[in-house]
Amino acid sequence: MTNHLGDMQNSEAIIIFGANPAANHPIAMQHILAAKEKKNATIIVIDPRYSRTAAKSDIYCRIRTGTDIAFMYGMIRLIRDNKWYDKKFLNDRVYGIEEIFKECEQYTPEVVEDITGCPKEILIQATAAYAKAKPGCLIWNQGWTQHTIGSSNTRMGPIIQLLLGNMGVEGGGTNILRGHDNVQGGTDMGCLADTLPGYYGLAEGSWKYFSERWKLDYDWVKSRFKSKEMMEAKGFSLSLWLHGVLDEANAKNNAGTPLKALVCIGNGISTITMTHKVKEALDKLDMVVFIDPYVNDAAVITTRNDNLFLLPAASQIETSGTTVNTGRSAQWRFKVVDPLYEARPDHEILFDFAKRMGFYEQYTRALGDGKGNFQWPEDATREIARTLKTIGLQGWLPERIKAQTENWHMFDTVSLAGYGPMKNQYYGLPWPCWTEDHSGSPVLYNINKPVSQGGMGFRNRFGLEHNGSSLLAGAGSAPKGSSVKGGYPEITGDNIESLGIKLTDKERELVKGKNWKNDNSGILNKKAIAAGLVPYGNARARTIVWNFIDPVPKHREPLHSIRTDLIKKYPASADNPNHFRTAVRYLSEQTAQDWAKDFPVNIVSGRLVEHMGTGTETRASKYLSELAGEMYGEIHPELGAKLGIRDGEMMWVHGTAGGKIKIKAKYGYSVLPDQVFLPQNFSGMWQGEHLGDRYPEGTAPHSYGENSNQVTSYGYDQQTSCPETKCSLVRIEKA
Amino acid sequence: MGRVKFYCDEGRCIDCGGCVVACKEAHEVPVGVNRRRVVTINEGIEGREVSLSVACMHCADAPCQQVCPTDCFYIRADGIVLHDKEKCIGCGYCLYACPFGAPQFPQNGAFGTKGKMDKCTFCAGGPEETHSEAEFHAYGQNRIAEGKVPMCAAMCSTKALLAGDSDEVSSIFLTRVASKGKGTPKAPYGWDKAYGK
Repeated sequence: MTNHLGDMQNSEAIIIFGANPAANHPIAMQHILAAKEKKNATIIVIDPRYSRTAAKSDIYCRIRTGTDIAFMYGMIRLIRDNKWYDKKFLNDRVYGIEEIFKECEQYTPEVVEDITGCPKEILIQATAAYAKAKPGCLIWNQGWTQHTIGSSNTRMGPIIQLLLGNMGVEGGGTNILRGHDNVQGGTDMGCLADTLPGYYGLAEGSWKYFSERWKLDYDWVKSRFKSKEMMEAKGFSLSLWLHGVLDEANAKNNAGTPLKALVCIGNGISTITMTHKVKEALDKLDMVVFIDPYVNDAAVITTRNDNLFLLPAASQIETSGTTVNTGRSAQWRFKVVDPLYEARPDHEILFDFAKRMGFYEQYTRALGDGKGNFQWPEDATREIARTLKTIGLQGWLPERIKAQTENWHMFDTVSLAGYGPMKNQYYGLPWPCWTEDHSGSPVLYNINKPVSQGGMGFRNRFGLEHNGSSLLAGAGSAPKGSSVKGGYPEITGDNIESLGIKLTDKERELVKGKNWKNDNSGILNKKAIAAGLVPYGNARARTIVWNFIDPVPKHREPLHSIRTDLIKKYPASADNPNHFRTAVRYLSEQTAQDWAKDFPVNIVSGRLVEHMGTGTETRASKYLSELAGEMYGEIHPELGAKLGIRDGEMMWVHGTAGGKIKIKAKYGYSVLPDQVFLPQNFSGMWQGEHLGDRYPEGTAPHSYGENSNQVTSYGYDQQTSCPETKCSLVRIEKA
Repeated sequence: MGRVKFYCDEGRCIDCGGCVVACKEAHEVPVGVNRRRVVTINEGIEGREVSLSVACMHCADAPCQQVCPTDCFYIRADGIVLHDKEKCIGCGYCLYACPFGAPQFPQNGAFGTKGKMDKCTFCAGGPEETHSEAEFHAYGQNRIAEGKVPMCAAMCSTKALLAGDSDEVSSIFLTRVASKGKGTPKAPYGWDKAYGK
């Protein structure tokens, strides 16, 4: 999220793609409604389903699932032709917009209407309303990311914002609403298959930097891996690990062996696609461990009867530490009660693992005095602050975060600015928080503020030039108070003095060969900020990503598209033999058969307001189960009539990958007659069978339902491998 | 002082059900008894879907009180309509009279046999001794005695649901109406004085 939740109250228009904050982020919705009231902000919702959020919108655009890119190119074409773009912003701060303008040419309102199903008049109305309102904020959610082309969706949003000059301003930005509590923190800490914490990547230099920070010998760290090559290779991702178990051919991408064991810590692995394949993989592994406060429903789905371990973990109120919200703000979570029964906090469980596997000493060496005497979790927070410079966590000291949390009433919820004793800091020290006394940065890329108060330009991340054009920001677009007026490269020990900053001999020695990401002395950051410079440089945002499959984002039809006639013109990308260690099918899956012929109904998937993820936690609440205690599929009465299924009757839903579920039909008008809405929060029923007796005594939830992902289709994002839970086709029959 | 009132702003209510669950958790209301409910009408129909949270409206001239054969209802000076479960015979007459469907009856028994009626107390407990176990058991928490607003309104995620002295409720709503389209303040009014600049 470039801005933050409260900041949406400053928006003149809010455009929401693939998100349903009214159901999934009710607190965020408060700020959206406040903008609507106080600023008369126009709320525009683009969604295949008329959601609770759509019910609060001024303009609703119903599009077919997976056609957001075509819709946005339609917007861009209108913005270009009507000259609604911000010329100065494009000139000074953006690279590659010409290629975007070239790509949008084919997306006339008529073409967009044909691809998306949204009437062209509505596209024009929405675009005009959004482009003319300044500032406008753009929101997205899993409705964008969980696609084979999700990584293109998430590039198109920022491109629209750059085009309109909505980046780096209060009330603007791209506000991605995270799926649940502390997802931002989890990502920052490297809960990813392709990077060390802080997005440092997996290159040798990054491993060496982390080894040093962990007070470990790099060669010892390396010796823990099968080879240096595997150490630096992306791992199996959350969505693809099952193929590392099931498909022996992937072993060649995994140092010659299939995956043999799974340790799953607090993750609802049945919310990824094709749960029936997840079950197969769980059954096949040598060992499976679940670490959760509640019984993970995947542990009930698997029918293995040996080497399955459930370790009870403490919940968030039984432990303490930082938690990071969707707006990059940290807050201290204080322990409310000691863990109940035999539950233990995650770190204790992990420490025990490390002890038994013989590396506890190395595991904890960077904590406290390095001899095993440390304070948990404060010393871990200090280790994070000491290490993660890429996102500027140097200022996230436990004392500062605790003081803020205890004085939260002294912060304005709209601007996050602190008052009185909390002045000169923003709530949660939103990262980057460059130094131990930095304010935090509530709005990314805001050049109207000095760096010391959270200002910054775009990061110099992709070199100094591309195809002969400079990638550094243009003249007159540096943050307020900057000693350099235009763009400049990321700060290193070698270039800092050429930017007009003086170093003493001692300082020069300390930062020699270092850059802002690995300078442990902190000199580069302090000196740069004192001169009004951003440690990461001041560059242009790039709209084209030359190392991606689609350098310019392209509309590609879903692998399982209901519009078979469009596949030829907008085909999927080529199959990828090694995508996060997995051979992934794209074009071959799309063209394997005429999917829409046998599976003529489009899934629209989403969450219910009562439930979280698989519902493991929320279905254990009797009141939430009372409000939403039954799995269903919402179908238009017209589809029901066609299939001979009445409201409330049971139906079988068959997926393209061989899974099936037996669920209740609920008539509704939020979907079109070729759609079925499936909530993704249920589990504990398996193809008509009740799994309640598989729960250990006393741990069963209050409500059960078929897991919708048994019928979602094969498909993974072409860059990130995020599962395609959104564009799936099914066949529905009366049960 | 005015009488207490609820107000639910349908422009803000998003049917999140937070008020319902807050109420049930606070008072340990049995499953099946809903002192408060969120109703969504015209669900899924473009431009016509509206959600509203409804509970006992604590009427000044309460029909339930007028029809009750055992006269179990009483209205406090602040307008909160309460009833005495000792006197209630569970006949369900109040449900006929109530324009909002507020009275609730336990669902146990083969034919939905009516137990004693239960309804929203505005978080003001009942005729038993304030904060006694007997009061909590029969009526739930007494937040009004602690100077707090009802749990539902306190937990409302979008602040659609307002509760309290009707003068206060209407002044909050009037302020919202008056500030419509007037912009978001750059800084909270008066904080520089309260906390220092």
